[in-house]
Amino acid sequence: MSLPLKKQPGLADIMQSLHCFRIVAFMALSDVRARYKRSVLGPLWMTLGTAGGSAGLGFIWSELFRVDAATFVPTLTAGLILWQFISGIISEATVLFSRQAPIIRNLNLPLAIHPMQLLLRHLINFAHNAPVFFVVALILGLPMNPNAWLALPGLFLVALNLLWLALLIGLLGARFRDLEYLIAMVMPLLMFISPVFYRPNYLPFSEHIMWFNPFSHLIEIVRAPLLGNPPPLFVVETNLAMLVCGWLLTLYLFNSKRDRIAFWV
Amino acid sequence: MSLRNQLVRISTGGRIESEAGHIQIVTALNQVSFDLHDGDAVALIGHNGAGKSTLLRTMAGVFHPVSGTVVRDGKVATVLELGAGMDPELSGYENIIRMGILMGLSMPEIRGKTSEIEEFTQLGNFLQLPVRTYSSGMATRLMFAVATSTQPDILLVDEIFGTGDAEFQIKAKERMESLIKSVGIFVFASHNNELIRQYCKRFFRLEHGQLTEIALQDI
Repeated sequence: MSLPLKKQPGLADIMQSLHCFRIVAFMALSDVRARYKRSVLGPLWMTLGTAGGSAGLGFIWSELFRVDAATFVPTLTAGLILWQFISGIISEATVLFSRQAPIIRNLNLPLAIHPMQLLLRHLINFAHNAPVFFVVALILGLPMNPNAWLALPGLFLVALNLLWLALLIGLLGARFRDLEYLIAMVMPLLMFISPVFYRPNYLPFSEHIMWFNPFSHLIEIVRAPLLGNPPPLFVVETNLAMLVCGWLLTLYLFNSKRDRIAFWV
Repeated sequence: MSLRNQLVRISTGGRIESEAGHIQIVTALNQVSFDLHDGDAVALIGHNGAGKSTLLRTMAGVFHPVSGTVVRDGKVATVLELGAGMDPELSGYENIIRMGILMGLSMPEIRGKTSEIEEFTQLGNFLQLPVRTYSSGMATRLMFAVATSTQPDILLVDEIFGTGDAEFQIKAKERMESLIKSVGIFVFASHNNELIRQYCKRFFRLEHGQLTEIALQDI
């Protein structure tokens, strides 16, 4: 196999990464295993944490906001689970490449395996949290209808969107180390202007501000179906537009800067 | 460039250049060109910071040259900094799989090599304990054993001898020698002239990123 310098190093890297899926899957699982190595409940702590959080917040806030707990608590639970998934990936993406520096500097592996590994690891976490929503829905008697299946393609779109976000933020974070702290500062703000703790229609005046936050669209496309409604068309459109524009921008940057990453980490 | 900078340049490192703003660029290798073929065993010599490791990484495909090309044909294995991908919380066995997978081995291949790694490291039941509990020498044994368990066509090695106890050093040397014999192209960066003379047939000297091929008696 001869490897002359490619004209499109970023694209070639992503193609190679897809061939390395075996490595990605193993490393993601192994990371989760290492993380909970000596705890008895292991990743179930995540499940319990989410359950506790949504129970506590849900019942207090449904009283504060004077809304019906049966509709509010499932909303909140789904919002929290999705937010953990999204913000976990975005926050960790800033140190994505620098944390993997020993691998990047010593082995000739494609670099896009790292965002894929990050995404997969958080999908594993997500799978541990997701049952909490269904238990809550069951307990509170939330009517589920066939629309709920739409959450799956929604989640797929969100995952593909998070993949380019992780790659882009990782690339920028490797070069600009301030990004880590900037993202850590901005994420809580973004949480308050995304529909994690409330439904979009609870906001009487500033609903349009919330829709400027791209994460609102990522949350709503999965959550609306779970609560029984198909996602609004403009949310689906925004997700698709983000997917196309985001990947184009990321591919452009990754193509031109991919070979520099090994020097930055 | 000041006189002081000129004097400092004589001893170590590549050339530090400033581009626009405060971005500093180090020219670690410059106008380096050579061909290696099956059967070549090459030593890279030069003082600290001469560009030996950078050249090894460039040959491995980790670094990409700003101008020029690197053409490789064959499976490459690197023994640079040991232990890439090792997780201290996981057991020795789990780390063998982790490092092996990252080196591009398949699961059956790794399983096939595990018993041989067990025997070489002599870590016994410690392989069931987290690597966190190992002494640095024990961890080195494991990392070295995994790194040298491949069958590459091209082997790139950075100075790695001189770790571990005396018994391990002898075993490591034997293992390295048999690996060197099995590969097509071997490139070795080292300061140890004795080892260089023993293993290598061609000798490249690096100075300030410039590469010159020298004869055995000029080392």
